[in-house]
This record gives sequence, structure tokens and C-alpha cells, in this order.
Amino acid sequence: MTFRNQAVDLEALPTLVSLPLSPVSPRLAPCQALLVLVRWLVVTAVVLLFPVRDETLALWQPWLAGGVVGVGLIAAALSWVEVRRRAYGLREHDLVYRRGLLVRRTQVLPLVRLQHVETLSNPVERAFGLVRLACFTAGGRGADLVLEGLPAQRAEAVKQHLLARLSGTPPEPRQTEETP
Amino acid sequence: MSEEDESTASGALVLAEWQRLSPWAMGLMLGTAGLSLVRQHLPLLLAALAGLTLVERIGWREVGAGAALLLLLAGALCLFYYRRFRFRLDGDVLVIQKGLFEHREFKVAARHVQHIAVHQPLYLRPFNVVQWQVETLAGEASRIELPGIRRGQADALSRRLQADTPGSGRGEAPSEGLADGPDAAASPASRVRHALSPGALVLHGLTSRSIYVIAAMLSPLVRPLERWLHDHLPQLDRFAWLPDSPLVAVGLGLVAVLLALAVLAVLAAWWRFHGYELRDDGERQVQVSGLFHRQEQALSLARLQVVEWVQTGLGRLLGRGYLVCHQFGSLGGGAAESRRFLVPGLNLAEGVRLIGELWTGGDRLPPLARVSRLYRRVLWLRTLLGLGAGVAVLIWLVGPALIPPWGWALLAAVPVGLAAGVAELRWRTLGWARREAHLYLRQGLWGQRTSVFPLSHLISLAIRQSWLQRRRGLASLELQVANGRLTLPFLEEPLARALADQLLASVESATEESPTTRRRSACAARR
Repeated sequence: MTFRNQAVDLEALPTLVSLPLSPVSPRLAPCQALLVLVRWLVVTAVVLLFPVRDETLALWQPWLAGGVVGVGLIAAALSWVEVRRRAYGLREHDLVYRRGLLVRRTQVLPLVRLQHVETLSNPVERAFGLVRLACFTAGGRGADLVLEGLPAQRAEAVKQHLLARLSGTPPEPRQTEETP
Repeated sequence: MSEEDESTASGALVLAEWQRLSPWAMGLMLGTAGLSLVRQHLPLLLAALAGLTLVERIGWREVGAGAALLLLLAGALCLFYYRRFRFRLDGDVLVIQKGLFEHREFKVAARHVQHIAVHQPLYLRPFNVVQWQVETLAGEASRIELPGIRRGQADALSRRLQADTPGSGRGEAPSEGLADGPDAAASPASRVRHALSPGALVLHGLTSRSIYVIAAMLSPLVRPLERWLHDHLPQLDRFAWLPDSPLVAVGLGLVAVLLALAVLAVLAAWWRFHGYELRDDGERQVQVSGLFHRQEQALSLARLQVVEWVQTGLGRLLGRGYLVCHQFGSLGGGAAESRRFLVPGLNLAEGVRLIGELWTGGDRLPPLARVSRLYRRVLWLRTLLGLGAGVAVLIWLVGPALIPPWGWALLAAVPVGLAAGVAELRWRTLGWARREAHLYLRQGLWGQRTSVFPLSHLISLAIRQSWLQRRRGLASLELQVANGRLTLPFLEEPLARALADQLLASVESATEESPTTRRRSACAARR
């Protein structure tokens, strides 16, 4: 075999900046907000129903629960705004996922590193018709990239595209041309 | 056909039939497993025995009969386990069937093998039996062990499974083969790349992390020791030799503790790395070490992902460090690195030479660039917040009334100065460089870890920007590599994005055989 080690033209590299990303499904925002609210409701119930013997503290207990509800509402609102900014992109050689409100994180997973793909959904996500796509690489302790907020059909199409890449067969163009 | 080819072929032929564990190993396993169980559940066992002594109907005869029954049961279980445990080679696939109550079958294809280790504890040496472990690309969690097989079987298995490792080149042209003997898995033609002298071994013991690990392990003994000294020292009337000054006495005590820890750390290093040799067998690097518990690890260069040059704080003072060769799925973080392919007792020149021989070819580390100065300020603020919380707790515990005016000044000045010092040290240590197709990244505070890896060995990456970073045009790069996440914080945003693009281009254009591997293969072929 002939040894080749050609220089890469740095100017010709595809850049992350120029990549147009597609937003996740708009249904993810209410879904996530609902999940956040449910979590905070559990905390509120614990605060409200916790047996307190001290009378002064017992007087403050409903107010404390109200405060927890307020924090939960703020968390749900922030989650709503954050989810509306999430986006993803599928390029020829990698998968890109951007998330975060104050701290924005753009994650890129090269498809050559992909080992297997999983689709997951909890009952609330199923009620909203949403699916999570978990991508695993070699030696990882969990999923390396979890793409949340994909409509079921779109998730299946992306999954098939990734599986086609895994098996080495060229993916069908139709699968990548769908709109969110 | 050469003699080696013949031995490989005959070994493969024998391994094609179902093989069993060594009966000696089963007996010894029963003993060691029993001892391990007793050690793990000692308080429970002692409590049960204490309870039995209170029951009058149970005497020594009944206890003896119960023990005999338990032994008989353990022996029967052991026999069933032995009958159930079998393995064979089906082509280039190792098939293992095991399980006492739940029957399980494992299949490991040679092309997925990334690491093979052979252990020979002292009690297995007379029987020429070894413990053989294989690990796939899924990492340490996928480790499968044959707990006691004959040395010849282990060598034949290792040879057969590593022959098909991508990049090994052994599938096409088998090498001269493995020498017999408990400590010679490399071919006779292999050269010793690094051997550990007694002086280097002592220095490694002093400068490795084991001194901290031993201190942590012995820390529960502090309170009982203190109680014992409190109870017995006055009665022994041994104060005569103690210095009069309490400060000197405390100082001498600390020195004694440190000396004891140092001696224990050196002993631990001697136990683990006695007779250490790293041998170059072309694509395979084989290391053998151990005083009583002989260990042998084979690393395929095609599977090598990241090399780390590690220096503890004391190691930097004494000019010593060690290399850790990481493959996929290293679990347990830094605490478990002694289980990995570790090259101990190196000075800086030797460490850099070895990194060069394994990968980059350079004879010195490149000059490292620093990240933005803003990171130093952020580190200072973060550390100050942590220290401030600690000081607040301290004030609450002591009570503000008891703190004198100069105490308040001290409590304000010390955290600020300490945070500034820590931030400065961490910022100065953090550095990175790209040389040819390799990335160098150094992190640490007092000790330092420098990770070296080819750009194409990246698994995934993320660009992270907080609102402050967005305002200042900065970004942090999180690189996921085989041994975990490496972070390059507070780079100029265009630089971070360009580096990310170059990393992705390297990964995505890399074929199954990376340029590094091709170079290694070409070197091996030339040799």
C-alpha cells in the first residue's frame, strides 16, 4: 500500500459557523415546560405536606410552598425559552446539536465515531408525538449525543440515515430533505 | 512454513476444541474467593459468631459440622462452575460459556479486541497457570476474564486474537512468536524499550499518586491510634525521650508520618513494578512487571488513543513522571489509572522520547500557548466564592464575637490571596499546542497532566459559550477523547472554531487506518 499524507486545505474546510441548523419541533417547548412543572409540583407537595412541629415554621409553610411554585414557574418559563432556541443539523459527515440559553453549547458528533443509535420516549413525549434520538460511540459510558424534540417520523428518518451510514450504504436523499 | 507458523496453527487447532479452566485454578479460586468474602463481611461474620456463642445448644461440634457443610456446598458449587465454564476459538472469535444458575455465552471477535492482560499471582506460579483478561473497544466495562488457564493456552489465545487487530499486520505475516515462560510474551526479536532501575522505582514510589491513596486508606486508623496513644502512652512513661517543645514534638510526629507514608508508597511501587520492562514488538507494546503478582499487558498501537504525561507536585520537584496509555472506555478516572497501561519511573527526557517513539517523532514537547487572561479572572472569582463560603461556615462555627479585629482582616486577606495564587497557577499550567497532526493539552495546578493525541482520535466535540464569553468573543472547546473530556477554555472564538473545524476534518477524513498507524506499519515493515 502506498503511503499518502496530503496536506489539508484549511481554507476549503467546511465551517461550523456556516452550517444552517433546523429548529427542533415547536411541541418540545410545552412538553419540556410540563415536565419541569411536574418535577417542581412534587417538590411543592413535599414542602407543603412535610410535618412541621414548630408553630412559627408551620405558619410560614404555605408561603414557602408558594415560593417553590414561583421558582418552578420561572424554571418552566426559562425551559420554554431555551427549548425554542434548540436546533440541530445533519451534515454529510457529522451530526450537530445546539442548545442552551445563557451558556450555549454546540455539540458535533462525527458519524464515523457512531456505534449505535437508539430512539427513546417517555409517556409525556409520546403524548406530544416526540422522540429522543440517542447516539452512542465506542467506549462511552452513556449516550454521547441525545437529540431531543424530534417528531416521530423525522426521528425515524434520521435514524435510518444514521444506520445507513453505519452499514456503509449511501442514505436515500429523501430522508435528509424533509422539513421539520 | 516457519516454526512459529506451525506453532500458531497447532495452537489454533487445539483451541478450536472446547477448553476448560485449570483444576488447580478452581481450587485456588475457591480459597481466594472464600478469603475475599470473609474479608468483605468480617463484621457480619463476627456478629454471627458472637450470636452463636450465646446459644447454648450450639457447641463446637455443631459449629464444625456447619463449617464442613458450608465447605462441601462451596466445593460442589465450584465443581459445577468448573463443569459449566468452557471456552474455544471459533475462527477468530473467542466463545466463552459460563454461569452457575444463569447460563451465559460471550463472543469476542478478534477485530474488536483492544487490550489483553495476563496476571500471575504468586499462588498460581507453581502450577504455571495465569489469569487471562480481554477487553474490547467498549472499554473496561466489557472486560472478560478466564480466571485460571495454562500459560501455553493464554499465549496461544493472545497470539490468535491480536493477530487480527487492525494495523497489526500479523494477519498477513505472523511474527516470530511468543517466548515461553511466565514473563516473556513478546517475541524474542522484540527490543526492550524501557526498563526500570531500582533507583527509578524508588523515585516513582515517592512521586506517584499512591502516597495519597495510601494516606486516604490509612486515615480511618487515625482515631483508634489516637485513642490508643491517649490510653497507653502515659502508663508506659515514655515521655522522657519526647522533646519539651510541643511544636517540635508535633513537627517530629508529622515527619514520622510522612516518612512512613513514603516507605509504604515505595513498597507499593516495588510490589507493582518490580522487574518492569517495556518491550517493543512492532505493532504490539508488551510490559511485564510485579514482585509476587506478575502482570503482563499488551497494547496494540493501532488501538492507542491518548498518551498522558503525568507529573505529581513532588514528581515535578524531583523531575519524575509517568506515562499513561489510554484506550477506549477507560473507567474510573485518574484513581484507576494503575490498572491501565502505565510506563513508570521516567524523567522528562525519557517521557518525551517515549511519546515520540509511540507517536509523534518529536524529541521535545512543543511550546504551549496560553488561553485568554480572562480565564484567570474567572478562576479567581470561582475559587474566591468557594473559599468565601468556607470562611462563612468557619465564622458561623466559631462565632463572630470570638474573632478579634485582626482576625477579620486575616479572614478577608487569606482567601483573596489564596484564590489569586491558585488561579494564577492553574492559568499558567493550562496550555495547548498543535504540532503536525497531534494536539498537546496540559492541565493541572501543582501536578500536571499533558495529554497528547492525534487530531483524528477525537470522538466528539462541543463549543461552549457563556454570555460573558459571547460578549468578549471567546469560546471554550470541549473535546471528548477515549479517556474522557478535555477542555480548552476561553480561546478566541475564531481560533476555537477553526480548531474545531480542523479536528472534525481530521476525524472525518481519517480512514480505518490512521496516518500514524500507517507510519508505524511502514516502520515495522522496513525493520
